[in-house]
Amino acid sequence: MKVSTETVGSPSPDRGSTLIIAIGFVMAIGSIAAGLSALVVSSMNSRGTLIELRDTEYAADGAIEAAIAEVRTQPGDLSSACGDMAGSRVEVLNGQSIRVDWYNACGVVRGGDGAVVAQRNVIFAACPDTGATCLEDAIVIRAQVNFEQTTTGAVTETFVQTWSVNR
Amino acid sequence: MRRTNDNGETLLEIVLTIIIIGITVTALISGLATASTAGNAHRANVSSDAVMRSYAEAAKLASRQCAPGAPLAIEFLPLAGYTVRVEPEAPVCPAVSTTQLLQLTVTAPEGLTQRMEIRVRTP
Repeated sequence: MKVSTETVGSPSPDRGSTLIIAIGFVMAIGSIAAGLSALVVSSMNSRGTLIELRDTEYAADGAIEAAIAEVRTQPGDLSSACGDMAGSRVEVLNGQSIRVDWYNACGVVRGGDGAVVAQRNVIFAACPDTGATCLEDAIVIRAQVNFEQTTTGAVTETFVQTWSVNR
Repeated sequence: MRRTNDNGETLLEIVLTIIIIGITVTALISGLATASTAGNAHRANVSSDAVMRSYAEAAKLASRQCAPGAPLAIEFLPLAGYTVRVEPEAPVCPAVSTTQLLQLTVTAPEGLTQRMEIRVRTP
């Protein structure tokens, strides 16, 4: 009579490996699926952020252009180009409400004849409108513009001296 | 007493295994295709954004070089396949005391359309 050496009902040596392989397989597939999902979601978010940033930047740009045009209509006081001229306005562009604050930042140069000449420079700061003066952290664009004037105080041309965008 | 064969190689088990692997591979390929499509859409979006920014800068440059009341001639050549449009269709350079509102539209070859408003002024 032939007798089997295998004990009836005892587990085979590789029993359980199937479960481990199955779990590993499921985890691998899950990781790949999660990675793909993250990639797609990231692309969607990036798209929204990209457009939003650009719209904000050009809304601030347009708001400052409008502010420069407004300041241009306000002839400077020739006797005090460094006076306390300041102002603000709100502009809606690309569906965003942008506030622009400005104030005088006079400069002084020496002319060819040696005379000291005051420069009418104005600093503009644009930020999303919150109803209050732009805070330093919220400023999107800051620009300094020189307003060239005639002896009567009328502005003949504007020169952008600095134009920095905070992204 | 009849012993059960647990070698795991019955026809049913093999068929089930093939089905599961087939479903998994199909899902993976679909996922990769979706990711690829999303990548292409993202690239088109970024390219459209670049075209839009360049177009806006071309419009601003044109406004700095023309006199109030003169036609605002925007010189811009978009990337191949992209089309650009500005409204109003025949913009003019604004008076020095005001600005001109322009609405720019960029359409990508894939049909993706982006719009943006800018303001330009003469110096």
